[in-house]
Amino acid sequence: MEKNVELIEKYFNDTLKDDEQILFNKLLKNDTAFKEEFLFQKDLKKALSHNQRNSLKTTLQYFENNIKNEKVFPLRKWLAAASIILVLGFSYFLYSDSFKSSPENLYAEYFEPYRNIVHPVVRSKNEKTIESRAFLAYENGKFYKAINLLNSVSNNNDEYIRFYKAMCNLGINKYPEAISLLLPIASNPSNNNSDINFSEKANWYLGLAYLGTSDLNNAISQLSIVANNPVNSYKKEEAQEILDKLN
Amino acid sequence: MIDTRPHNTLELLKKGDNATLQKIYEDNRVSFINFSKRYDISEIDAVDIYQDAIIALYENGINGKINSLNSSVSTYLFAIGKYKIFQLLRKNKTINLDHNITIESTNEVLNVNFFNEKLTNKQKLIAKGITELGKRCKEVLELFYYKGFTLDEITNVLNYSSKEVLKSQKSRCLKQLKKIINY
Repeated sequence: MEKNVELIEKYFNDTLKDDEQILFNKLLKNDTAFKEEFLFQKDLKKALSHNQRNSLKTTLQYFENNIKNEKVFPLRKWLAAASIILVLGFSYFLYSDSFKSSPENLYAEYFEPYRNIVHPVVRSKNEKTIESRAFLAYENGKFYKAINLLNSVSNNNDEYIRFYKAMCNLGINKYPEAISLLLPIASNPSNNNSDINFSEKANWYLGLAYLGTSDLNNAISQLSIVANNPVNSYKKEEAQEILDKLN
Repeated sequence: MIDTRPHNTLELLKKGDNATLQKIYEDNRVSFINFSKRYDISEIDAVDIYQDAIIALYENGINGKINSLNSSVSTYLFAIGKYKIFQLLRKNKTINLDHNITIESTNEVLNVNFFNEKLTNKQKLIAKGITELGKRCKEVLELFYYKGFTLDEITNVLNYSSKEVLKSQKSRCLKQLKKIINY
């Protein structure tokens, strides 16, 4: 019996030797239980391949959509458009008393992806690790690509990787994803094994992320933490500005 | 930059590196779509075929069928893609016999598994059953039946203490699957 199991195993690994192949064929012909087991596993292989191909196809479709989106609205144009909108929006703000700061507007006004301080991209140098490609994509505003790459680095659970993944998610307005990445960083100020303290930054971006989801209660309490931080001045003024506008 | 010689790229694919897959996808897409314009097919079909070619490349890469291939990844993709384009055109009956001959010989050289057959009812049942299995079982079965890993390789990759432990795990998974689908 054990021997039969092994024969079927070897069939699927394509490692049957000549004499084993002969035995295999014989069993297939004369042993109904053997045949049934073999056919089951063959169907299983087919079914598994089917499932795997479907999920692979979905992944490829996702790559395809990324390409299409970039094509339709390249980042540079987007930035140009955004700055014009900002200027227009600002003048509207100057001339109109009726302007109300909605949370989403505030988010758009204050959000900018945190600069890449981990992996300065040296363009002349030909260093092409997954991580450096991730940060290159990040600097170019290719956030989907950056997320994919950041997911692929071996240390993808490190704080700075999670932080920049959150930045990418904010860049494509995926607030809930950003929030779940930022929460553990923000609540972990003592984690100083890197020389960069991300928790202060995480607090600020968490506040912005809540603005993005229009969750005012959490946004206000989060931004208050930033505005009233006794030891750190990172984005203190901006946080206070937003709080004033919200009131 | 990813080394696009087949060997290294395939190693990365085998490890399940999505970034490599995306890189291959992006690097060859435009030239493939342009190439497909020589034939009478829509861009939607061309993208669909391109994706199937990538899947075929992936599968043959992970099960070791193209380890010895002496051409670049793109050559391989184009050969598969071309075959699939002809297959589509043949289905639409707009192609002459000459091309058919080329197709058969191309297929023979590449030894590619194509996957347009539909699942039987039993296979559909199994496909659904698989989704109800635990994560560990899914992994083991996927590596063995889909990726064509040997039991020794799986023992390594999934950190089993021994091949025997893996063997009994695999047999439990099969039993469980049969139970799920009342086989």
